[in-house]
Amino acid sequence: MEVESIKLIETQHITTVIGAALGALLLPLLSFLIISFFKPRKGDWLAICSTFISFLLSLYCFTNIWNLQSYHYSAQWLNTGIIKLNAGLTLDNLSALMLVLVTLITTLVLIYSTEYMKGEKYYHRYFAHLSLFMFSMLGVVLADSLLLIYIFWELVGFSSYLLIGFWFDRDSAAAANKKAFIVNRIGDIAFFVGIMILFTQFRTLDLGALFGTADKAGLIQQSVVENGLWKFTDISGNAKTLNASMLTVAGLCIFAGAVAKSAQFPLHVWLPDAMEGPTSVSSLIHAATMVAAGVYLTARVFPLFSPDALTVITYIGAFTAFMAATIALTQNDLKKVLAYSTISQLGFMITALGIGAWQAALFHLVTHAFFKCLLFLGAGSVIHQLHHVQHKYHLDFDPQDMRLMGGLRKQLPVTYMVLLVASLSLAGLPLFSGFLSKDLILIGAWSWEKPGSAIIAVLLSVTSALTAFYIFRMIFKVFWGENRLQKTVENIDVSVHESGKAMTIPMMVLAIFSLFAAFSINPLHGAHSWIYEGLVVPLNSFNPKIQFTEFAESWVPIITVVLAVAMVLVARIAYYKQKMTFLTEHNFLYKFSYNAWYFDKLYNSVIVRSVVLLANFIRWFDINIVDGIVNGAATLVHQLSAVVDWIDRNIVDGSVNGIAWLAARIGDFIRGFQTGRVQQYMALGVFGLILIIVLSYIF
Amino acid sequence: MLNGIPLEHFMIISAILFSAGLFSVLSRKNAIMILIGIELMINAGILNLVVFGAFDKQKNEGQVFALFAIVLAAAGVAVALAIILNVYRQFKTVEPNQVEEMKY
Repeated sequence: MEVESIKLIETQHITTVIGAALGALLLPLLSFLIISFFKPRKGDWLAICSTFISFLLSLYCFTNIWNLQSYHYSAQWLNTGIIKLNAGLTLDNLSALMLVLVTLITTLVLIYSTEYMKGEKYYHRYFAHLSLFMFSMLGVVLADSLLLIYIFWELVGFSSYLLIGFWFDRDSAAAANKKAFIVNRIGDIAFFVGIMILFTQFRTLDLGALFGTADKAGLIQQSVVENGLWKFTDISGNAKTLNASMLTVAGLCIFAGAVAKSAQFPLHVWLPDAMEGPTSVSSLIHAATMVAAGVYLTARVFPLFSPDALTVITYIGAFTAFMAATIALTQNDLKKVLAYSTISQLGFMITALGIGAWQAALFHLVTHAFFKCLLFLGAGSVIHQLHHVQHKYHLDFDPQDMRLMGGLRKQLPVTYMVLLVASLSLAGLPLFSGFLSKDLILIGAWSWEKPGSAIIAVLLSVTSALTAFYIFRMIFKVFWGENRLQKTVENIDVSVHESGKAMTIPMMVLAIFSLFAAFSINPLHGAHSWIYEGLVVPLNSFNPKIQFTEFAESWVPIITVVLAVAMVLVARIAYYKQKMTFLTEHNFLYKFSYNAWYFDKLYNSVIVRSVVLLANFIRWFDINIVDGIVNGAATLVHQLSAVVDWIDRNIVDGSVNGIAWLAARIGDFIRGFQTGRVQQYMALGVFGLILIIVLSYIF
Repeated sequence: MLNGIPLEHFMIISAILFSAGLFSVLSRKNAIMILIGIELMINAGILNLVVFGAFDKQKNEGQVFALFAIVLAAAGVAVALAIILNVYRQFKTVEPNQVEEMKY
């Protein structure tokens, strides 16, 4: 069912809705500034209040925008004569949805953090940085031009850098935030190149103008590709042409930015390391901010992608989804499993965008945000309690290692329940939100009719099955069986108790949003959910819209569910009953998966090492040759100036001094006559007179 | 001829008188002596005027000029003595060689 096109209101005045959106955007910044500059001992209430008000404002915006009206507020920002840049807010269904999502999840995470981060040395800093993080993400969502998105995009990268390295006194955290930042920079550069290509072609970076709005075609749609040229004629009739490949390149460049932010292959390596940050930060990064930014951007610029670009996007997404799922199978670190699961799910979204299942991708983004946030918060709860035990008895073990957990479901009943809900959602079982959105993606993949579509569809289905397996491996390892930690220490009771209300209530709220009811009345099919129907695929002149086939729509959900249930049972047998040991630790496949396909090693030995070598060479070059030239030039100048100095001292000064000396001597000599003695003058006068007389007589 | 004395004799006396004055002006240290020398030289000039005036019987211009010159000399002496007196007050000396302040 199509929603009739929604009227867009272009405005230059701040109306109530736009004011509310601006307020929602700026409040977290305000809280960041206040906490940073005034350094209250506890900044939590401030951050939570501002975020919550921000959430209420977002809700107000959302109710005024969703399926009713879009707003585009724009004001001139820069005017250099030739280039005019506007800055403003875009408020349509997508950004309103994201606005609510981000603020709601951040509010919950902040409330959770008050307990989780209790007693931290830099407690107020945590809340300040989290506020900044949310501000940046809201900026990405609300920005109306690619340049503004880019600015906030960088801010997201920067604030994630601060948060990943929150425990910056740990070497691993410091290394992880550097890695995240550098890997993200790679994508950012590509993103910027993409922006520049678009600017060259269209002379504007406004999202609405470029990519069109619900009822109006954008400049991208007006441009045509013919005879290997990408042509665009603006209103005044000036035609611009670029090579047709530039269209694909621009799309892929912007996509590369999303690849880095959303941790897609080959730039996914930062995300598992980012687990060094506090778990609550991970939950935010993985749910509503940061990684969502990449998918959001790809969705925003969707009309830009040429068929070739979309093919690349599809393959990257599908490969990432599969790869990350296989890695998640063997990880022992609780958070690492979830990290790879995020990469895998993001792969799903990216694939969905690639095949044109635009709405499904964003639907999955929303549902995933809730259950992934919940998974992390649940994991945080487990880790938090184990950490307490570790602290209490001064034990030496890794509180994130699943090999030491087990049987925790009676000690942590709430955490167990919410994690189970989230896991069922992630595994894609009916009645849960994850089922609705993931199913749509799988249906899309099976309906996709392009060469190689079967590979993508099979890959995604296999990944979906693997997802169910690894997440239930986690559930069984952590909550079932016997407590393996107890075995290592015999005389201490290591039982844990449930976390406090500040942690459990946000988790329960998220658990409600992980159920189907929050999104769709029909628990078995997501195509009629309000999010799916509310989001309108942007017009696209290069790619046809995907049509679900009857076959896919009827069979894919059944097969997926059967596979998922089977996998849950297999996981139960393998990790609870421990009757299957098909994945021994000496197996090559196991090692391959455990070491994350050796990507880190590969990057280290190929890229990092060559970069370091190059850097060393450049350093050598710098020290010996550049510095040599500079120093040589300096020495030469020094010597030359010594010569000039000598000439100056001896010849120039010499002649000047000589003249002065001569004048002085003459003066001295002449002064001899000026005795001041009148009689002498007179005598001289007389003798002179006599001399004249005598001479006049002689001659 | 003036009463049998030839003009040359007057001239010689005048020259001697002038030279004596000049010598006194050039060689004396004391300002008074220099002033006396100057007077001698003026008188040598006056003598010349008187002698030459003897040849002008109608107008006696020589004598008239001599009178003027005597008045001038007297005035000059008065001024010079006043200066010398002031110099003495200022420097406690009447020797021009020791009055050196204006030299510098």
